[in-house]
Amino acid sequence: MSTHTPDAPAPRPPPAPLGSQALDAPLDSREMIINLGPSHPATHGTCRLVTRLDGEFIRGMRVDIGFLHRGFEKSCEAVTWGQVFPYTDRLNYVSSTMNNVGFALAVEKLCKLQVPDRAQYLRVIAAELHRICDHLTMVGAMGLELGAMTAFLYAIEARDLMWDRMTELCGARLTSNYVRVGGVARDLPEGWVEKTLATLDRTAELRDTIGALLTRNRIFMDRTRGVAAVSRADAVDWGYTGPCLRASGEPYDVRKAAPYLVYDRLDFDVPVGTRGDNFDRYLMRMEEMVQSDRIVRQCFQGMEPGDIAVRDFRYVMPPKPQVYGTIEGLMAHFKLVMEGIQVPAGEAYGYTEAANGELGFYLVSDGEGRPYKIGLRAPGWPMVASMPAVLKDALLADLVPTFDTFNMIGGEVEQ
Amino acid sequence: MRRLVGMLVFLVVFPAVLLGFAWAAYLAAGALAGLAVGWGLPAAYGAAVANLVFLMLVFLMIASSGLTIGERKWSAMMQNRIGPNRIRVLGNPLGGMPYLVADALKMLTKENIEPSARSKLLYELAPVVAFAPAFALFAVVPVGPEAVVLGQRVSLQVFNPDVGLLYVFAIASLAVFGTALAGWASNNKLAILGGVRASSQMISYEVSLGLSLVGAMMAYGTLRLDQMSVRQGELLWGWLPALGFIVQPLGLVLFFVSAFAETKRAPFDLPEGESEIVGYFVEYPGMKFGMMMLSEFIEIVVLAGVVTAVFFGGWHPVLFEGWLRANLGPVAFAAVGAAAFLGKTMLLAWLQLVIRWTLPRFRFDQIQKLCWKMMLPAALVNVFVTGALVLLDGSLETLAAVGLVEIAVLAGVTAASSRAAPAAAGHGPGDAHAAPAHAAGH
Repeated sequence: MSTHTPDAPAPRPPPAPLGSQALDAPLDSREMIINLGPSHPATHGTCRLVTRLDGEFIRGMRVDIGFLHRGFEKSCEAVTWGQVFPYTDRLNYVSSTMNNVGFALAVEKLCKLQVPDRAQYLRVIAAELHRICDHLTMVGAMGLELGAMTAFLYAIEARDLMWDRMTELCGARLTSNYVRVGGVARDLPEGWVEKTLATLDRTAELRDTIGALLTRNRIFMDRTRGVAAVSRADAVDWGYTGPCLRASGEPYDVRKAAPYLVYDRLDFDVPVGTRGDNFDRYLMRMEEMVQSDRIVRQCFQGMEPGDIAVRDFRYVMPPKPQVYGTIEGLMAHFKLVMEGIQVPAGEAYGYTEAANGELGFYLVSDGEGRPYKIGLRAPGWPMVASMPAVLKDALLADLVPTFDTFNMIGGEVEQ
Repeated sequence: MRRLVGMLVFLVVFPAVLLGFAWAAYLAAGALAGLAVGWGLPAAYGAAVANLVFLMLVFLMIASSGLTIGERKWSAMMQNRIGPNRIRVLGNPLGGMPYLVADALKMLTKENIEPSARSKLLYELAPVVAFAPAFALFAVVPVGPEAVVLGQRVSLQVFNPDVGLLYVFAIASLAVFGTALAGWASNNKLAILGGVRASSQMISYEVSLGLSLVGAMMAYGTLRLDQMSVRQGELLWGWLPALGFIVQPLGLVLFFVSAFAETKRAPFDLPEGESEIVGYFVEYPGMKFGMMMLSEFIEIVVLAGVVTAVFFGGWHPVLFEGWLRANLGPVAFAAVGAAAFLGKTMLLAWLQLVIRWTLPRFRFDQIQKLCWKMMLPAALVNVFVTGALVLLDGSLETLAAVGLVEIAVLAGVTAASSRAAPAAAGHGPGDAHAAPAHAAGH
């Protein structure tokens, strides 16, 4: 049965006036939450970035750290002062000697120990070599994350040469465990200086190649300039230190501000950036490698033969012939191994300029052979913590290089 | 030293292999054409079947899968590494070639893991849809000139439609379906990001891809790739071959960049973005992933082939062409020409590897800016300029003169910008960038 329409249609109501937006068909888009990490190629170590995306734009982010948490501070309370050094190796595992140095300086502050000249030079040499390693890693990874893998492999080649030198110096590629309370573990092997100078030359060559590949590369500049810029005030407020702070224009370097070891005798410059963007942070690293190179060469010039540790068996292990040949040596060895260095009761905060910024050890001693309490100021944490603010409304593709220039090292940030 | 000797041997053996292959392809085409005539079919059918087997199944597949090894080996050389050498045959790594077999075996025997929330049909379809267009593109590439072989007139081209380049555009634009489907059907957030990036990038660059070749179409007055190759043999002013990159330098740059973007490889590898989103194929295991990867390499060869045909003289050997033509038999000359084509193709494929391992990746917005704000206007200008010049003088000589000027300007600008002081270019023009300024002591 068909219904027939009436001949006169009902008059239509006049159309409502349309606004300019009424003609746009609204796309039913939603924000998307994606997990970058904990195992993601861009999150070095294991870090989870819970990112809220609107298309490709980051609208919010939560940094979830702790996957690499090993209880560093608590573990240290169970071992003697000397046994803490291997633990510090695993903080920033790319530049382990710097952590050694930082911890040793803090302990020596409590003990009021003056370390021999040569030991100070050796510490500076090892630390600066490791600073170059750390910066090479960051610069190379920067290339890798922007898709230029070739630059990464040049950096890794240079870093491997450095690590070979570290192996000759202290017997380990990665976890050097080189520094002791009161000095260093070993003197330079024979011929090491020449080899290291040659290594530095090769590293400079590779560094310049990386610079040629990246620094003036149009794509690289476009990808990094003006991205994730942090103003000087923000950088100070958020507690940045190290290259990231200096990239924002604040010329703070512990090596200049509160010189330790022999840094006051060395001639080096502290590069300072202007914009605090990814490009500046990258340039900081490139320039600091040049300066570290200078420092190491000056150390080789200024170093003189001498003791590599204090001659005091309350702090430093006696040499093996004495341990096996004399009762005093045996006793000192026994006391140091079983009870540990007797650090005077008190508190001290030792801070040094590590590769990523100020590395602080806050030590509390109750006069026993083991730390009563250790607090660590990890240089990378303030930068990582500021990522949600820095990267708000940035593109997803910018997250990865920014994460890299902040140089989060899981070992130290997550302790 | 061993590597140098190896490369010298390669430089001698490789052209010889190409020549032999080209000769065999001509003979096969002639023989099959004769067979087809014997069965009462058009000779072109037989030649097409022979070409399909020789050019697409043998050359294209071997070249593109060989490129996977070539890429690993060449990137190793660029990065001071040794590269693949663990699999040895009688103690000899053979330049990594055994990895071809190993990789294929690995891909074919991997466990087939599939996301449970996938769209089943589309998920299975995507690798095929990604693979097929790349493969089909090579059909119109004119590898060798026409020659009379075994009494039959054949050329090394599977399919020679009048629409020529339009076929290239049409098929190339189908490739986007594979990536978009893969991203969508995997039901994975990272994959959909990759798929969306891929589709926006490929659709954008299709515009400049098409426009960049319009100049060449007008200059040579044809859409057919074989005709374009023939016309590039003409001599301008009696000595300069009318090669595409002389007549259309801007077109070459624009086409090469757009086609590079279509292949989705660095610096245009945003859809993959291995350090960010892993890519639209993140959920594909084994050979399904292998198909997508292989289609990338096939696109490299196809892109190199099209660029050779349109811009680098096609099958013209260019050097000593007159002497070769005069002193060789027709089949031998054709084989030399085809070998020259294949050689140029491989050289361009190598160039793409070098670019891929040198440059960092663009960002999503930059890639679109590059396309719509720089390449598209440049392509339009190229179309208008070429059109005006063709109206002015149909003999290509004016075009070539303008082209030479363009090449000189491009080279000059490149040299000048690379020689500019690093400090001046440090952080954009007119900006006193103080990064390397030192605050010594404070």
